[in-house]
Amino acid sequence: MAHLLREKGFKAFVIVGGLTAWRKAGEPLESVPKNDLVKLPTFS
Amino acid sequence: MHPLLSMLARHGYALTFLLLLAESIGFPFPAAIALVACGAGVASHTLSGPGVLLTAVVGLILGDIIQFWLGRYAGWALLGFLCRLSLNPETCILRSAESFYKRGKVTLIVAKFIPGVNTMAAPLAGSMKMRFAQFLRLDVAGASLYCTTYLTVGYLSRDFLAATLDSMHAASRVMESIITVALLIYAIYRLAQFLKYRRYNIVPRVQVQQLAARLASNDAASVQIVDVRSHGYYDVGAERIKGSIRIEPNNLEEEIKNLPKDKDIYLYCT
Repeated sequence: MAHLLREKGFKAFVIVGGLTAWRKAGEPLESVPKNDLVKLPTFS
Repeated sequence: MHPLLSMLARHGYALTFLLLLAESIGFPFPAAIALVACGAGVASHTLSGPGVLLTAVVGLILGDIIQFWLGRYAGWALLGFLCRLSLNPETCILRSAESFYKRGKVTLIVAKFIPGVNTMAAPLAGSMKMRFAQFLRLDVAGASLYCTTYLTVGYLSRDFLAATLDSMHAASRVMESIITVALLIYAIYRLAQFLKYRRYNIVPRVQVQQLAARLASNDAASVQIVDVRSHGYYDVGAERIKGSIRIEPNNLEEEIKNLPKDKDIYLYCT
């Protein structure tokens, strides 16, 4: 995805290790806001 | 007696149970081929039809029940993990979810015939809060249909299978050569894929510490962190890097309209 963004003119980089590495390094996290949550449809 | 049928006679039920259980848990084992072989075994009177059918169905259902409850409580984390075990990890979760969304619960009856969907159906049902009793009814129907179909294929084609196995035994050296060539072709294909996609490695990568230092500096305003996870936003309590925004990876053309071109974009996934 980073490569695609760079092809479209964005200055894109990739964080090595992703969220796991960020969490392991003790850097700040936040809960995903309720408005951003994507809810699966449910069989209820 | 043919060696394969001899082995089936000795260990057929246990092998069938283990293979079907392993496939339902998510391992990429060719359970359908095992069922066909068992069908041939039934035709040769080395296995009991009802016995092997029951063994196979129980193995499948047991694995599906485990996956259902894991899907209920582990959610999309499990689904993402399962995709790594399947033969088609890149498509299995998307195809399974699409199938469920479009066709609903009936998917469970035919899911086992669809590669990719077969592994994902049970945990998806759990994730999507299907009632367990309903899931069990549909899963028993699906497992029975799947096992009966392939056992029947093996039963009806027993003579063809025996002839094929005899021919393969007679042509063992030719088979070794064919397999060697096939492996060589596959290795060349993988190398070509590697060389083709090597260009993606030119995307700059940054360590967490580098980015954190930049965020703590006066340069923070020129940084935008972007979450590109396809499933991380389905679980209540999900977390993301503070200040990051999410873009839907399957809708990139629309999403990039909202991305700032005057900032450095840092992407991350799980």
